[in-house]
Amino acid sequence: MTRRLTASTLALALAGAPLLAQEDMVTRDRVGPADAENALTFRLTAYDLYSSDPATSAAFEELFVDFIEDNPGWRIDTQLQTGNLSQEQARMIEQAQAGRGPDCAMVDSAQLATYKAAGILSPMNEYFTEEEIADFFPYVRDGITDEDGNMLAVWWFTDLRVLYRNTEVVPEAPQTWDDLQAAALATVEQGYEGILFNGARGEGTTFDWLANYWALGGELVDEAGEPVFYEGENRELFLQAVRYYESLVDSGAAPARVTSIATYDDMLAAAAASTTAMFVGGNWMYAQLQTTLPEEEAAKWEASELPGPTAEQRATGTGGWTIAALTDDPEKVRMCAGIAKLYLGPGNAFQGLLPTQASLYDEYDTYAGPEFEVFSAALENGRARPGVAIYPEISNQIQILLGEVMSGAAEPEAALDAAAEAVEAAYARQ
Amino acid sequence: MIARAARRRTATPPPAGGGPVPARPLPWLLPVLLFVGLFYLWPIVDALRLAFTDASLLDRDAAFSTEAIGAMLGSPALGTVLRNTAIFTLGSVVGQILLGLAIALLVVRGERNGLRGMLVMRTLVLAAWVIPGIANGIIWQMLFSEAPFGAINSALRLAGLPPVAWLSDPGNAMMSAIIATVWQGTAYSMILLYAALRSIDDTLYEAAAVDAATPWERFRFITLPELRGALLVNAILIVIMTLNTFDVIISLTGGGPGRATEVLALFTYNTVFYNFDLAGGSVLSILLMAISLALAALVAAFLPRAGRR
Repeated sequence: MTRRLTASTLALALAGAPLLAQEDMVTRDRVGPADAENALTFRLTAYDLYSSDPATSAAFEELFVDFIEDNPGWRIDTQLQTGNLSQEQARMIEQAQAGRGPDCAMVDSAQLATYKAAGILSPMNEYFTEEEIADFFPYVRDGITDEDGNMLAVWWFTDLRVLYRNTEVVPEAPQTWDDLQAAALATVEQGYEGILFNGARGEGTTFDWLANYWALGGELVDEAGEPVFYEGENRELFLQAVRYYESLVDSGAAPARVTSIATYDDMLAAAAASTTAMFVGGNWMYAQLQTTLPEEEAAKWEASELPGPTAEQRATGTGGWTIAALTDDPEKVRMCAGIAKLYLGPGNAFQGLLPTQASLYDEYDTYAGPEFEVFSAALENGRARPGVAIYPEISNQIQILLGEVMSGAAEPEAALDAAAEAVEAAYARQ
Repeated sequence: MIARAARRRTATPPPAGGGPVPARPLPWLLPVLLFVGLFYLWPIVDALRLAFTDASLLDRDAAFSTEAIGAMLGSPALGTVLRNTAIFTLGSVVGQILLGLAIALLVVRGERNGLRGMLVMRTLVLAAWVIPGIANGIIWQMLFSEAPFGAINSALRLAGLPPVAWLSDPGNAMMSAIIATVWQGTAYSMILLYAALRSIDDTLYEAAAVDAATPWERFRFITLPELRGALLVNAILIVIMTLNTFDVIISLTGGGPGRATEVLALFTYNTVFYNFDLAGGSVLSILLMAISLALAALVAAFLPRAGRR
């Protein structure tokens, strides 16, 4: 009896050993052996390795453990970023400039220009072949390289804004702004809230709305990076796009509460509660709808390209995240590039995020779904936010402006004048 | 010799209420001075220094300049932000003091009458205080949600009342931010005033009862005068805390819609983290500190002095 128990305990211990070993290899602040000779600090968001979804965290743990086994003598000291994006990213710049920043970090693509301007990123060219660099989408390649052709980050996934609709209520995808307004009003008559989009203070508001301005042909900054959205032809286009949002609220096609919506979770909640039949959301929300809603309800939801002023004038904002090296140590830059490659290929495929290299769409079965056809078609009209340090303030002023106009606190012209004055003052001080 | 020593002793009597003062107090005070200087004064001095530079988060090389002061104080948005700050501070401070006083009176009265559950009531009120500001904002955002399934509006509909645009209407959004702040801050006032109420001599109320004073007269002529010091200290502390509030607002409204709820602390935060303008943020921080000190000094002027009530 005792011998059988001892044998069973031993067998259990042997079977569980790899599991325990892996568990020890990945902790809340480290990947790899604690006594490793070399250490790389990596600041990441909480959506993959430390995801609250056990399947996601397990998949990334496996990727990271394989990576560390391929790089003996190394460990990765992980640092979690907070959810407060702008503060976190600004703090990281300051720390890097003071020599206290992480060696490798995830940087929001919208903030990458600020990092480039601060001169704290190390080139990663030698860890990527010329073919691999050429495989990046053109707007991605432009975003991550400097004038000298240095690749300063790996933009590992992109995203875009699309229109989601409940096809039982809105069978045909609206193609123009007028189509959208008419369809939204029709849903209101059926007891729905109308079209939902971000309209509160937050980057989502600017990003959702910018697609409309870009579809008209407007530009936020000129080639020198100087703000121009309030001048000349851009001014008229800007006001036209603002009035479009204003008319959605004034006509009742969108509820007044859009000025208090700051996250896409609000739209998801409304879809789950069946209080809306249309909303503007990110491509990643397609998977969220499938997992949040009952199967038969989820099947009713489809994504389509954002409507434009005319069916031919379309645009959508593209974002995503990058991984960049903030160290001068070549070995650490190599490790950072290696981590970026984990995310770029298998990491994206697992999470269903949109890769930034064309070849990856053929390489993984994940991208065979019909929704990816819609996303890839919409990406044809994709626009990235301008890579200039003044962009965060432009975005801030657009959020203020839209909130004031949609809540009736200001007229579009006056709100634009105030935004222009604020942006000009901030630009002069940069 | 003995007589001289005795004269010296009588010539420098020790201060009332304390032991003998050391001949050289500086070495004894030095640790405290160093601690205070390092952790409290140095950041203020550094903010003051940065305010007179063109420092940016993007560029560590800063030169002396008064440009930031002119730019920040001349900012067209500053007027709106200061107005918002005044409304938010006034509403929050008045709300917290009145509610805190009301609950403290209720608890003391309940305890005097041997009512059960007073400890639970105190604990319940305190529970709101320990919730972090960000979480408080998120909780109230869910309660104020204007979606058809929003908690408060659903209750209003059940009662046959029309829903309220709590967060999307610029006027109501400020009121909502004040409600969220008052809900959280009331506990602090309640505890301060509860302690002060407990220290009022019962014989005063007994004498008033003999004189057949009404409850209002007891409150007006005994409780309020006895609480004056505590109320003013409470007001000073709440004014300073409220002026520095931005966590509740950033998670509840983000300062919107538009700029409807953007207070000075949030404006400062945005200046640093959107504009990367460290010098501008420092100017606004100094302005915030100056306003806090001025208001605190104003309230402190009404504090009862020793020997004068």
